[in-house]
Amino acid sequence: MALKLETAAPKPTPKPVEPVIETRSLGKIYRDFWGRKKVYALKSLDIEVRQGEIFGLLGPNGSGKSTTIKLILGLLFPTSGRAFVFGKDSTDVSKNERVGYLPEESYLYKFLNAEETLDFYGRLFEMPADIRRARTERLIKMVGLERSRRRQLREYSKGMTRRIGLAQALINEPDLLVLDEPTTGLDPLGSKDMKDLILKLRDEGKTILLCSHQLADVQDVCDRIAILHQGELKELGRVDSLLKVRDVTEVHAKGLSDQAKLEIQELIKRHGGEVLSVDNPTTTMEELFLDIVRQSEDRPGHRSGG
Amino acid sequence: MLFDLELMTPFWEWFTTVGLLNGVLLIAALSAIGFAVCYIVAVYLYGPSEGFYVIAEVISKFFRDDLPKTSFRRIAAFARLAFQEAIRRKVLAVFAVFVVGLMFAGWYLNPGADDPAKLYISFVMTSISYMMMMLGLFLSSFSLPADIKNRTIYTIVTKPVRPTEIVLGRILGFTLVGTLLLVVMGIVSFIFVSRGIVHYHEMEPMVANARKGISTYDARHSHTVTFSEDGTGVTDEVKSHKHTVSVREVDGKKVYEFGPPEGSLQARIPVFGKLDFTGRDGSKGDGINVGYEDTRRKYIDGASLSSAIWTFDDVAESRFGENLNVEMTITAYRTFKGDIVTGVRGSLILRSPDGKVESERIPFIVKEYQLDRIVVPSKLKGFRDGQPQELNLYQDLVQAGQLQVIIRCNDRSQYFGMAPPDLYLRAGDAPFLWNFFKGFLFIWFQMVIVICFGVMFSTFLTGPVAMIATVSVIALGFFGSIASGSLSGEIVGGGPIQALIRTVTQQSPTLPIEVGAEWLAEGIRFVDQGILGLLTVLTNALPNFPTLISTADFVAHGINLFEGLVIRHSAVTFGYLCLTTIISYFFLKTREFAA
Repeated sequence: MALKLETAAPKPTPKPVEPVIETRSLGKIYRDFWGRKKVYALKSLDIEVRQGEIFGLLGPNGSGKSTTIKLILGLLFPTSGRAFVFGKDSTDVSKNERVGYLPEESYLYKFLNAEETLDFYGRLFEMPADIRRARTERLIKMVGLERSRRRQLREYSKGMTRRIGLAQALINEPDLLVLDEPTTGLDPLGSKDMKDLILKLRDEGKTILLCSHQLADVQDVCDRIAILHQGELKELGRVDSLLKVRDVTEVHAKGLSDQAKLEIQELIKRHGGEVLSVDNPTTTMEELFLDIVRQSEDRPGHRSGG
Repeated sequence: MLFDLELMTPFWEWFTTVGLLNGVLLIAALSAIGFAVCYIVAVYLYGPSEGFYVIAEVISKFFRDDLPKTSFRRIAAFARLAFQEAIRRKVLAVFAVFVVGLMFAGWYLNPGADDPAKLYISFVMTSISYMMMMLGLFLSSFSLPADIKNRTIYTIVTKPVRPTEIVLGRILGFTLVGTLLLVVMGIVSFIFVSRGIVHYHEMEPMVANARKGISTYDARHSHTVTFSEDGTGVTDEVKSHKHTVSVREVDGKKVYEFGPPEGSLQARIPVFGKLDFTGRDGSKGDGINVGYEDTRRKYIDGASLSSAIWTFDDVAESRFGENLNVEMTITAYRTFKGDIVTGVRGSLILRSPDGKVESERIPFIVKEYQLDRIVVPSKLKGFRDGQPQELNLYQDLVQAGQLQVIIRCNDRSQYFGMAPPDLYLRAGDAPFLWNFFKGFLFIWFQMVIVICFGVMFSTFLTGPVAMIATVSVIALGFFGSIASGSLSGEIVGGGPIQALIRTVTQQSPTLPIEVGAEWLAEGIRFVDQGILGLLTVLTNALPNFPTLISTADFVAHGINLFEGLVIRHSAVTFGYLCLTTIISYFFLKTREFAA
């Protein structure tokens, strides 16, 4: 695992890597106005996010994913424990120089257009005008908003808002990217783009923390995940090893006759194995949809499939 | 109009005696209250020692980290955003309201008023000052709460942004919007005022080569014109202005051309003196109280030795010119009606401070409610040690820069009333435009203070509540003098508990309260004094809007706004800016935006 980590990070600094994010028995209790305890949102969480990995926080609604992210960003103050980002306390403003954050919904100024939005956030990093302009240009192109760059955000669709939100998070070329539900509100195509982008950013050496309740997303992109439920950490580990079922073997074959299938089952039985199921594989809805859209882009005006 | 002479205090004198002390007291009081409240909350949340540590950490963070690292470029970014927000949310519509208002006002403002310029100026300045306060209020109280409600603040505070920048950026941005509007409104209203008073007359038919004539009746008045040897004419002063008249010969006929009105738009520089009274027998006195006429004016008896004596410092020809202009507004209190048209007669005497040299009596008839102008020539008749002599004003009457002006009332059983600001020496004029500008500067101060308070309240209150809180601060500022007045006994009736008892039991406010036992009454008075003392300290901390608004009267009455006052209010405004920024910082710093 450590080996994989070093190859993924292109930066030529193979020093013993300090975790990008570290939480130490981080806990959060929501209180009402009078200070009475209302909800245990998070109980004593200990996680480490290392440089160059995509770390996923997974869990049902209300499991404490968003709370964790907000605690790490300093939007909430921990009731117990502490969170560190780049070795600095989560409430320290200066850590934000290297952090990009895409909130659950893109909360941006609706009276600004895309260019002005990126320009404004660039100014908050005290970027010189030429760099600001170059990055704005590049990010608008990257998220595919060239045609709507002069429109006020109030006119944007949800997907477009999401894109400009992402561009905003990348304006400072952050080392750590925190994404809260990155694919919500996106159509499958947009969702795919987002996931590709996340992988690409990881390959550029960025560390990514995301949370989601869409299992497919997490499975597709995350290197490691933490599963939260009712504010408690339930599982932590690499996605591939968590999902691997050791005593089950999968065989994919094409063009077999029914006779051949029967023979294979016989063979398995003879070796003391147990056949669980024999089936023609179905594709996922997402794959089907992406397939159709791609075909339609190749041949506009035709109904796909046939 | 009775000016508050306290406003004429030079800046350094004010700063060292009042300003600095008030500022330090206020900071000390607020720090103590703030620390106490925060500590109680922190103890509740973290326990006594940990709580203290948490507070110390937040405070040290401010001085160690956030204040020194506050970046002007980020403040400018927020200011730009606030500006864009205001413009895109169509704040400039306020300006349209103003212009429409002016158009209608033009119909209803009475051009036949005694002093139309005064009316126009006070109308535009008062309406603009309230409009700018409203604008500041709306801009400042809703912006930050909207960001917090829409969670836009999430994307802000996760950038390397410090709370000071969020607050100062907003204050700066809204101030820019306001300034822009104020400049445009100022220009429009200057045009409105100066055009509003312009009118011309023509000559009524007059006897050939006569020295005097009468003008036509225009703008609800006419003038008497006096022609001099060289043929040019000057009108008398009606409705605070006069015209110059030039004469041309066209085809053997004389054509009279009136110039525009002169003297309506002035900025006289007054020099005030110290006022003493003498009683009927000429000995030192306090002036007579004629009852509830005016709380600040004292009266002198007619046809007696009772007099009002103003002593002026630094009287020099270089300051006042060759002829000394004495201007006064004396009120007459009549114990019999007599001939109401004639008016009450008085006389003015200039005297050296040692009393040995004095001028002849200069008689005048009091123009009640209007300015009396007396021009004292530099060469005048008078007396030295009782002997008649020709005197030179600046050489004989002025001693060590000091000069006394004595007012007596000549009519038996009539009284003259005056307060220190009622008589002043006029040290020339300042340009009217400059004074007008200074008047707008005070409107600007007001607006900035409103914005500061609005932004401060919006860091921990929702929009509408922040607005109400800001309005309360403004309103309390208006009524603050009641608390200090009750405390000093200037306002009779005592404090809130006494007032309540008096209201219920219908006791007179001028008598000590009766509650059955003297010790109880004493106790009530003691508690009342405590409440009033606290209220006075608190209201002293509030911005003094009555003073700020009253500066419009200076401009309207053609009195130059004293530069020391401008500096004083810049200092006060800057003080409020710092204070509200620091308070806002702590509210934002300790706030969980995602909660």
